[in-house]
Amino acid sequence: MKFNFKTLGLCFAAAALLVACSEPPEIAPKAAKRPDVAPYMGANNGFMTKGWAPGNQTSWTESIDKRNQGQNENSRVK
Amino acid sequence: MARMKFICDTERCIECNGCVTACKNDNEVPWGVNRRRVVTVNDGIIGQEKSISVACMHCSDAPCMAVCPVDCFYRTDEGVVLHDKDICIGCGYCSLACPFGAPQFLSQGAFGTRSKMDKCTFCSGGPEENGSVAEFEKYGRNRLAEGKLPLCAEMCSTKALIGGDSDVISGIFNQRVTNREKNGKYPGSKPFGWTTAYGGPDAPAPTPTPAAKIPGAN
Repeated sequence: MKFNFKTLGLCFAAAALLVACSEPPEIAPKAAKRPDVAPYMGANNGFMTKGWAPGNQTSWTESIDKRNQGQNENSRVK
Repeated sequence: MARMKFICDTERCIECNGCVTACKNDNEVPWGVNRRRVVTVNDGIIGQEKSISVACMHCSDAPCMAVCPVDCFYRTDEGVVLHDKDICIGCGYCSLACPFGAPQFLSQGAFGTRSKMDKCTFCSGGPEENGSVAEFEKYGRNRLAEGKLPLCAEMCSTKALIGGDSDVISGIFNQRVTNREKNGKYPGSKPFGWTTAYGGPDAPAPTPTPAAKIPGAN
């Protein structure tokens, strides 16, 4: 009977030691980059300019190019 | 659409710092962080004092992207270099790599605890919903999604700073240089170096100068 207790104790000790081997890794998962929404999709606020349709890349590009030319006083003063 | 770029015309910049103020105000950039700044050389020397407004140049081959250990940078289809503040660890490598000093960190306390990196976004926000409060609080305004251009360039009183599609702004700058040359200022000057600096749709890759042709180089 005494021998059995000793064996049981050894089994518990071995099991307790092996628990460490089963621990899940504590490395944080790598943060994934989130996809960014293209600007031609428009902004969800009340500050959008008029003259282009959100979601239409061509109309956004045309609108931006027109606005770009607003920086050219050589074309603005004519 | 080509790539979005800034150019600052040193013949026109009057060091008013309007671009700096506009950027700070519109994006609510915190005290101690300057996404844009005006640099002046030859201060006080008549005829030689020049100022230039500097921010992130949204490099085509950005060194900040290359050195970032957590790979938080990305480039949009418009050529704007942006970063994800949820991934950034604030290590400062990008600050050391950038030749323009664009990456900024909010430093507080006696031991200089550093925040996550902050820089010019070409007024195009970050990886949050366009125009959302979360995007504004982390990255500032998303004017591109509103159909506008960066405020610093749009409000520049002398139009020294122009920003937008590189093809368009290079055309504007080219016209200025040609007019100056025609009117007798800097005769013989040409808008050299543009394609080398910014490239173009069909611009060939620049050929490196052989070391043998550079005096003193090995």
